[in-house]
Amino acid sequence: MNQNELRQEFGRKAEAVSAVVTPVADLAQAFAQAARLTALQGGKCLAAPGWEGADLAALKAACEQEGLELITQGLRERTGEFHTGLTRARWGVAETGTIVVESSSEELRLATMLSEVHVAVLPAANLRADLFSLEQELDRTLADAPGYLAFISGPSRTGDIELVLTLGAHGPRQLHIMLLEEGS
Amino acid sequence: MSRASGREYHQRLKGALDNTFLGQTLARFQGNYRGSRQAGFAGMDFEALAAEVGAAKDAALGHLEELYQQFKAKAEAAGATVHLAHDAAHAREIIAKIAAQTGSRRIIKSKSMTSEEIHLNRHLEAQGLKVTETDLGEWIIQLRGEGPSHMVAPAIHLSRSEVAELFTQVTGEKQDPEDIASLVEVARQRLRRAMLEADMGISGANFALASTGSIATVTNEGNARLVTTLPRVHVALVGLEKLVPDLNTALKILRLLPRSATGQLISTYVTWVTGAVECAANRGKKELHIVFLDNGRLALSQDPVFSQALRCLRCGSCANVCPIFGKVGGHNYGHVYIGAIGLILTYFYHGPEAAQELLGNCLNCQACKVNCPANIDLPGLIKKTAGLLLAEQGRPIKNQLLRRVLTNRPLFHFLLRRAYLAQKPLARGGRLIRHLPLFFAPDQEFRSLPVVAAEPLRDRWRRLAPKVPKPRLRVALFGGCLIDFVYPEQAEAFLGLIKGKGIQVDYARDQSCCGLPAAMASEEETAREVARQNLAAMEAEWYDYVLTLCASCASHLKKYPELLAGDPVWAGRAEHMAAKVIDLASFLQKEAGLEPAAAQGKAAAYHAPCHLCRGLGVHDASKELLREAGYDYRPYDDEEVCCGFGGSYSLDFPELSAAILERKLRQVAATGADTLVTDCPGCVLQLEGGLDHLGSPIRVRHLAQALAEAKDK
Repeated sequence: MNQNELRQEFGRKAEAVSAVVTPVADLAQAFAQAARLTALQGGKCLAAPGWEGADLAALKAACEQEGLELITQGLRERTGEFHTGLTRARWGVAETGTIVVESSSEELRLATMLSEVHVAVLPAANLRADLFSLEQELDRTLADAPGYLAFISGPSRTGDIELVLTLGAHGPRQLHIMLLEEGS
Repeated sequence: MSRASGREYHQRLKGALDNTFLGQTLARFQGNYRGSRQAGFAGMDFEALAAEVGAAKDAALGHLEELYQQFKAKAEAAGATVHLAHDAAHAREIIAKIAAQTGSRRIIKSKSMTSEEIHLNRHLEAQGLKVTETDLGEWIIQLRGEGPSHMVAPAIHLSRSEVAELFTQVTGEKQDPEDIASLVEVARQRLRRAMLEADMGISGANFALASTGSIATVTNEGNARLVTTLPRVHVALVGLEKLVPDLNTALKILRLLPRSATGQLISTYVTWVTGAVECAANRGKKELHIVFLDNGRLALSQDPVFSQALRCLRCGSCANVCPIFGKVGGHNYGHVYIGAIGLILTYFYHGPEAAQELLGNCLNCQACKVNCPANIDLPGLIKKTAGLLLAEQGRPIKNQLLRRVLTNRPLFHFLLRRAYLAQKPLARGGRLIRHLPLFFAPDQEFRSLPVVAAEPLRDRWRRLAPKVPKPRLRVALFGGCLIDFVYPEQAEAFLGLIKGKGIQVDYARDQSCCGLPAAMASEEETAREVARQNLAAMEAEWYDYVLTLCASCASHLKKYPELLAGDPVWAGRAEHMAAKVIDLASFLQKEAGLEPAAAQGKAAAYHAPCHLCRGLGVHDASKELLREAGYDYRPYDDEEVCCGFGGSYSLDFPELSAAILERKLRQVAATGADTLVTDCPGCVLQLEGGLDHLGSPIRVRHLAQALAEAKDK
């Protein structure tokens, strides 16, 4: 699969599992989108652990623009307050519409688990055809212990009542993937 | 099975069959699953991938102790504590002790069948601990005080109304059964609170990676992520068979597991935990305990026959495709583990007593086997497990009789001839017996039974044998009991189809029952003895084909090599004959062809015998021939689902046999066909008997007859 086919397949499969894929030109645009959709959904606070330096400053600006509070740590104490969790995704897998999120940071995990909406920024250059094409990278990540690694495919769901598919069982009700073209 | 427990089990089955909601839910569940699974595996070579996973699991199972040591070293280097529990009680003790040592009072759990296996909750609650299940289905059944009825969808036996009622009690607020999203919301809110307050999280694991000491959970709801993240202590309870050497093996399994479970390409969350990760609630570092459970697994992994059972990935597909599960649900088709694998594991993990009622309840329809992502011969293992029970508890009279009669062909055939005389008055001159005296075979009223033929095929043969001076093909016909003694006209129809085509057909007089009934009754030695007799009688060496009109006989003859493996005298001959066994449709397509079509658009539906479509892998030949013969072929959803016959199964479980048959006949009737065609006399018996009982005008024909009739016109 060439880059374009990967992108198309990833988009199809991610959408098939109810994720929303939005191509963005750069990080600033990704931040603006994340802040925008948070505000539109009535969110007041965005949790974004793991961003630093110029990226963090840009994110702060985007949040201010929408009148949102930005938090980057102490998420446990702020449970129920942050609407959106904004993280990076390390890789994307076209076959299944999966994002791979390195989640060893507890704050990052909380941001992706306790939020109503998870927004993940995924560099388009890091798309791969399937999990087997990522095997070496995944193996190295797992060997770097202790660690917590997550494959995420769409928002949380359940079919436990009469097999009726319902989103948002325990985790985020929505998953937005900002597909970042920059540097690809 | 003791009489009392047997009776009680049949009562439970009847209760389940009377539960209309359960029937509807399970039918919808299985119907949806079939479609989703097919879509999930589209474009993939499932058979090859399942064989690969089976082989990878076998390789791991051969080295469990090494893998355990390797895992322990890696995981402990990363800050985990690894325990090995010898049995259920030991595992419960270890976990209770961890709770005590860490001062944990409130425990949250994500779904773990292994914790169900050891009845963990009951034990922890008895210690005064508060345990909350966080998987929605598990929480529902916990609140109801029930066990799971399915490994993946534990509350599948309940309706939305029952859940709404339950949640009304739990919340004290009226819940609307039609608003499933808000019912899910109740769980989300309630369980979020429990998760934030918990001291300890207990999870299972789908894989334990020896190469890195990582454990992985595969979930859709995301509760396992919260259970492994929020509390300060994490205990993972893992069956030893979940150990795999490396990521590559895990990825191979992961490719099949969700597709087999629900048809999803992948589950929403696959989470890998390696060692003691960051946890602010525990001075910065999680306390992680990984408890491996043996409970018989190590011994089982060394067993040449039964180690296969440990390949199980817990996808639940064996239940999803099982016609029996589809009628009675998991509470009546398993103990803790349910479905086909449940029947087997119950014996090994929960003992013979828990398993004995269940082990006879298998149609041997092979649906679970061909859908198993770990390539486990589930029906074969079920029969072998039942054989262990027989060896322990002694053989019931019916098994002893079976052995005596089947190994003595003259006696067996004498009895069959006598049966003709005994049945004659009941048939009132017809070909079917509509009402059996109840003492003879209770609960058989759902179908009429055919009478034994006045003149069996073997007696007619001298008259019928085709005279072909210079044959281009030599065929040995294997009749099987039903063709020989009940439906010789099906063989006559076959002879009509190949007349004038230069095909010599012989009928060896010393052939007997193929032995499948013995294998079904777990009488392996009897099955072997009968196989040897048939191999001697058939003299397959002299023929191009061994043809049988009975799909069950055909697939069983193909099993002779497996049955006689290692037998210095017979193994080779068994291989030789098995290679020549062929079914009617494949034979006609390959060697004989058909006369020009003449059925003139008569509407025909087809029933695919289990042992043809799954046993021999022949899916389309019969339907192609019907079309070629001019029939207006009418498909329906359950064409390849068992008719409920299963030989003696229909005598042992008449209530289920009838229910499974009813579903099939309803679909056949809806096609508008006036003929139902199949290629197994056992299926003919079941289908014809059921239709006659219903007073349906639909006629049942063996494929040979359907084609012969088309030719006659």
